[in-house]
Amino acid sequence: MSWDKSIKESVKWYDNMEVEKYEYTVGPAGEEFFKGLKQGKIIGCKCSKCGKIYIPARAYCENCFAKIDNYVEIKKEEAYVDSYTIIYKDDEGRQLDKPIYIAMIRFPNTVGGLLCYAEGNVRVGGKAKITSFDWPLRVIVE
Amino acid sequence: MKVNLYLNKRVAIIGAGLTLFRRRLLETPQEIAWEAASKALEEAGLELKDIDCVVIGSAPDAFDGVHLKGEYLSHGSGGIRKPVSRVYVGGATGVMTAIAGWYHVASGLCQKVLAVAEEKMSPARPHPQSVFKYIWDPILEKPLNPNLIWIFAMEMHRYMSKYGIKKEEIALVSVKNKRNALNNPYAQLGANITVDDVLNSEVLVWPVQLLDVSPVSDGGAAIVLASEDVARRYTDTPVWVEGVGWTLDNTEWPARDLSYARYVEFAARMAYKIAGIERPNKEIDVVEPYDPFDYKELHHLEALQLAKRGEAPTLLKEGVFDIDGDIPSSPSGGLLGVGNPIAAAGLMKVISIYWQLKGTAGKMQVKRPVHTGLAQAWGDLMQAGTVIVLRN
Repeated sequence: MSWDKSIKESVKWYDNMEVEKYEYTVGPAGEEFFKGLKQGKIIGCKCSKCGKIYIPARAYCENCFAKIDNYVEIKKEEAYVDSYTIIYKDDEGRQLDKPIYIAMIRFPNTVGGLLCYAEGNVRVGGKAKITSFDWPLRVIVE
Repeated sequence: MKVNLYLNKRVAIIGAGLTLFRRRLLETPQEIAWEAASKALEEAGLELKDIDCVVIGSAPDAFDGVHLKGEYLSHGSGGIRKPVSRVYVGGATGVMTAIAGWYHVASGLCQKVLAVAEEKMSPARPHPQSVFKYIWDPILEKPLNPNLIWIFAMEMHRYMSKYGIKKEEIALVSVKNKRNALNNPYAQLGANITVDDVLNSEVLVWPVQLLDVSPVSDGGAAIVLASEDVARRYTDTPVWVEGVGWTLDNTEWPARDLSYARYVEFAARMAYKIAGIERPNKEIDVVEPYDPFDYKELHHLEALQLAKRGEAPTLLKEGVFDIDGDIPSSPSGGLLGVGNPIAAAGLMKVISIYWQLKGTAGKMQVKRPVHTGLAQAWGDLMQAGTVIVLRN
């Protein structure tokens, strides 16, 4: 049975499957990270067993499975662009007036990265300065 | 029923961990999984680097609100850069997680397996019940806007009318399990209640009332399984997995006898055959049947062949299933007393039996000596049955 022949005559039923909304918790380590943002700080954490520094802060080390409660402030001025992409169309496929740059920024000697809106001379390896600590972050690349 | 199983290795459980079962835990699902998993490793005396592979059990993605939930949870379950598989058979998932861990070892593929189950039921609004909108036949059932409570109300009613069982007889399950949960440090709803409290509680969907039902919970559970040679190196008191069984029936639940859980019987018969059990009601010393609703515990005790059809309420009244009875049932407090983070609740039942047989159940420990125990879960559209038999 071909699609165009059968589809017009077939019996159909329409419905949707949505949950109204979700209320996610960020967890104890996530709260440290988001509280830090409010004060203009980037909070990570250091595993006391293997010494890895994670960004954002998390409650346990994925590597050695130890509990982490050693929160550390990361030097935000050391942020750099690890990679970036440019968005030209919105979700509906409409051309945007101005393309959006999304950058993944990282910090030296840490595990993890943060996705942010970027402007300026966006390039891989460029130094990123955080201009807004509202989530998602915004950076300007020098 | 025929089971062709060729087992390569004998399998033991050597460690277990639970989180508190609570409504609206602050921790993320990954952090809940990590807490249970790291406690299980600690009890086993192993480190994450010792684990060969990880099994994750979790019910619908839509509870936690994250698709690819197995992949998402692998981070907190110790699965990063290891072979990971996720199992999912609705409410039966928790016991299936232990079974999947078992077959990784029994087959000879792995020696040390970490099996983790997690569920965070609280994020969905207005209520996690709306997640179940996804599970029905979209045309034959969904237009009536069913929810799980009302289809189980249908099952409960059929069970009551077929055998002439009264609501006050069923309410005794809730009374017993919430009382047992008072001894469980992880429990959400331990309480001393009476049959009248159950009968006077809010009617949700007739004949189901508020105290007939387990609560909405968040929680995690984990076990470490090991092959015999490894188990003997790490513990003097391994608890052996002696039999497993699982069955999936057709999703067409209106075509089924609502008064009897046939798929649980099939799963139980498979497990009994592997374990060499011929008279379950004489050989099982302690049992954790799945009890998201109070009538379900009775339903499942019958399907597990621990009571004749329609006779579980009588045995309950006689005290057979009490903590000091012949076959203590849900000594942990069950889902009615401990809470119901779906997959984690099923694995909690396995852990309860493991601790009973190890003799480390603390205040939950049943009075007489126990050697053979059974945990069971059930789920989907009255469709999936999973059973595990343990021995010390």
